[in-house]
Amino acid sequence: MEAKIFDRETILDLVVNFIPLGIILFFIGAFAVFAPWGFEPMASGLMFAIMVVMFLALAVLTYLSAKAIAGDEKRATVYAQGQAGLEGAEPIHGHDDAADTSAATDAEVDDTESTSE
Amino acid sequence: MDISAQISLTVLMGVFLVAVATWLTRVENWRSYSPVGGGAIVDRSGYVEEEKPAGIIRWLTTVDHKDIGILYGLYGITAFVVGGLMVTAMRIDLVTSESLLGTATYNGLLTSHGITMLFLFGTPIIAAFANYLIPLIIGADDMAFPRINAIAFWLLPPAALLIWAGFFAKPLGLFGPAQTAWTMYTPLSTGAAGGSADMVGGAGVDMMLLGLHLSGVATTIGAINFIATIFTQRGEKVTWANLDIFSWTVLTQSGLILFAFPLLGSALVMLLADRNFGTTFFLSDGGNMLWQHLFWFFGHPEVYVLVLPMMGIVSYVLPRFAGRQLFGFKFVVYSTLAIGVLSFGVWAHHMFATGMDPRLRTSFMAVSMAIAIPSAVKTFNWITTLWNGRIRLTTPMLFCIGFVSNFIIGGVTGVFLASIPVDLVLHDTYYVVGHFHYVVMGAIAFAGFAGIYYWFPLVTGRMYQASLGKAHFWLTMIGTNITFFAMILLGYGGMPRRYATYLPQFASLHQLATLGALIIFVGQLIWFWNMVSSWFEGKRVESADPWNLADDGVNTIEWQWFGTKLDTQLATDGGEADEVATDGGQVDADDASADADADPETNTE
Repeated sequence: MEAKIFDRETILDLVVNFIPLGIILFFIGAFAVFAPWGFEPMASGLMFAIMVVMFLALAVLTYLSAKAIAGDEKRATVYAQGQAGLEGAEPIHGHDDAADTSAATDAEVDDTESTSE
Repeated sequence: MDISAQISLTVLMGVFLVAVATWLTRVENWRSYSPVGGGAIVDRSGYVEEEKPAGIIRWLTTVDHKDIGILYGLYGITAFVVGGLMVTAMRIDLVTSESLLGTATYNGLLTSHGITMLFLFGTPIIAAFANYLIPLIIGADDMAFPRINAIAFWLLPPAALLIWAGFFAKPLGLFGPAQTAWTMYTPLSTGAAGGSADMVGGAGVDMMLLGLHLSGVATTIGAINFIATIFTQRGEKVTWANLDIFSWTVLTQSGLILFAFPLLGSALVMLLADRNFGTTFFLSDGGNMLWQHLFWFFGHPEVYVLVLPMMGIVSYVLPRFAGRQLFGFKFVVYSTLAIGVLSFGVWAHHMFATGMDPRLRTSFMAVSMAIAIPSAVKTFNWITTLWNGRIRLTTPMLFCIGFVSNFIIGGVTGVFLASIPVDLVLHDTYYVVGHFHYVVMGAIAFAGFAGIYYWFPLVTGRMYQASLGKAHFWLTMIGTNITFFAMILLGYGGMPRRYATYLPQFASLHQLATLGALIIFVGQLIWFWNMVSSWFEGKRVESADPWNLADDGVNTIEWQWFGTKLDTQLATDGGEADEVATDGGQVDADDASADADADPETNTE
C-alpha cells in the first residue's frame, strides 16, 4: 500500500516540500563543515537542534499528509476543490483511476485555454 | 455612602438591566429572520429546529455558524475602522517633523493600531469567513461545537474594550493607553517594576495585557473548534484529497494557533505578574531576551496565522475568474503545511540585532530562507493559474491580483531581511515597516476584500455596486503602494521606526507616505458606503450562480447552498423587476461570444 501511495505522481507533488528540506540540509552540512565562530556545545548544539528539529518535523508532516491525501485519492473519487458534493460536478478522476492522479488539475486546461483568446 | 444606599443602588441597577433585557426581547424589527433557506435546518435525525428568535436576542443567543460568521465579520470590520482611523491620525501627525498630537498620544495610537489590526481585525475577519463558509463547503451541518463557537466570539468584545481601555479612561483622568508598541518589549513594558517608571501607560498596559489574554483564549477556542470540525464533520465525499484549499489553510492556521497562542498567554501572565505581583521573570539577567524569545515564538507563527487563510481565499477565488482550476492544487496544499511547520523555526530572525550567539542566528537564517520557498511556490501557482486563463476583472479578481502583486513585493523584501548582514543594516528602520505592511495591508487586507466582495451576494443576497468596488480597489492599490514603498525608501535612508518625530531630510518621503494613506482612507470610505448601502438597498441576486461560474465549470458547493436558500425563500419584499447586472457576471453581447468560445468542459474532465 505504501508503495502504491507514494508513486511517481505523489513524489512529484512532494517536490515542493523537498526543496525547503534540501535547503535546511544544505545549511546543516555547510555549518558542520564551515564554522567561523568555532564549536561550542551549547550554542552549536542549539544551532543544529533547531535545524534538525525543523527538518524532521517537516519530513514527518509531509509524509503523514501525503499518506492521507494520496491515500484518499486512491480510495475515493477526486473532485476539483469545492466541488465534492456539488450536483452535476464531474470528477477529476474516479477512485479506480490510479494513474495520472496529481497532474490532472495542472495539465487539464492547457489544450483548451488557447481557444478563449 | 452608607450600606443601605449601596444596596438600593444595586437593586435599582438590577431592575434597570432586567428592564433593558426585556425591552430588547420585544424589539422585533432589528432584522427579522426566516429559518427556511437558512442552511442546515434539518439535522441528521430529521429534526427540524425551531425558528430563531427575532430581534437582537437572535444575535445574542445564536449558535448558527453563519450568524456567528456575520458577527465575527461585523466585529472585524469595526476593529478595522478603529485601527484605520488610528493610523490615519498617525500619518497626519507625521506630515511635519514635529509631532502634532504629542509623542504620548502617538505612541498610544501606534500600540493600539498594531494590536487592533492583528488581534481584533485580522484574526476575527478570518474567523468570519471560516465560520460562514467552511461548514457549507465541507458539507457539515454546523461547527463541531456550536455553543463553544459562540463563546469564542463573545469573549472578543470585552477583549477589545480592555485593549482600548486607556483611550476611554484618559478623558476621565484615570489612566492612558499603553505605549509599549505591539511587541511589548521588556524592560519598557515592565513599568514601575522595571526601569521605565511606568511612563508607558500604567494601568492601561495591564488592561491591554488582560484584553490580549482574553482574545488569545477566544482564538484558541475557535481554533480547536475548526480542527474538530474539519477532522470530524466533513461530508462523505469530502475526503482529504477533496478538501478545498481554504479549509486546508484554516486547518493549518488552527494548528499554529493551538501551539502559539497558549505560549503568548503564558508570557502575558508572566508580564502581568512582574508588573503587579513582584515576580521577576523578565527583570533578572536575560529577562529581556526571554521576553523576546517567548513573544516571537508566538509572534512569527502569528504572521502565518493571518496570511495562510488569506492565501487560501485567494487560491479559492482567483481561479473562479481565471476560468480554470487552481494550477498545482496539491503544491499549494503541501506548501501550506510546510509553512505551518517551518513557521515555528524562524522566530529569532526578529532578534538578529539583540546580540544573541552568532551560531544560533545562522540556524534561524537557514530556516527563514527555507520558508521562503513554499510562499514563492504559491505565488507561481497563482500566476500560472492566470496564464492563458479566461480572466474576468471583477472586483474580487482585482483584489486577488493586487494581493499577488503586493505579496511579491512584501515577500521579496522579507527574503532580504532573512539574511543576517542585511537585517543588521535595516533592523528597526521603516524598511521593516514597509515590508510587513506590504504583507498585512497589501496582501492580507486585499484578500479579505476579495473574499468580502466575492461572497457578498452569498451572505446578503444582494450585489454590491461594481463601479464603487473598482474605485475602492484602485484607490487602495495605488495608496498602498505609495505609502509602503515610501516606507521602504525611508528605511534605506535610515529612518528608525516607531518615532513620532524625525529629521528634516525624511520629510518628503513621510509626506508622500501620508498622501498614500489618505488615498487609502478615501478608498475605504467608498468601500464602507458601498457595503452598507448595498447590504440594505443593493439589487437582489436572483441567480444561484451570480458570477456565472458554471460556464467555466468552476462553480463551487457554497453557491449550491445559496441556490437552495433562494429556492426555498418564503417571501421577498417585492423584489425588483430588473435583471441584476452582476459585477463581471453579466452576459451581454460581448461576453456572450467570449462565453461561447470558452470551452465549458475545460475544467471538468
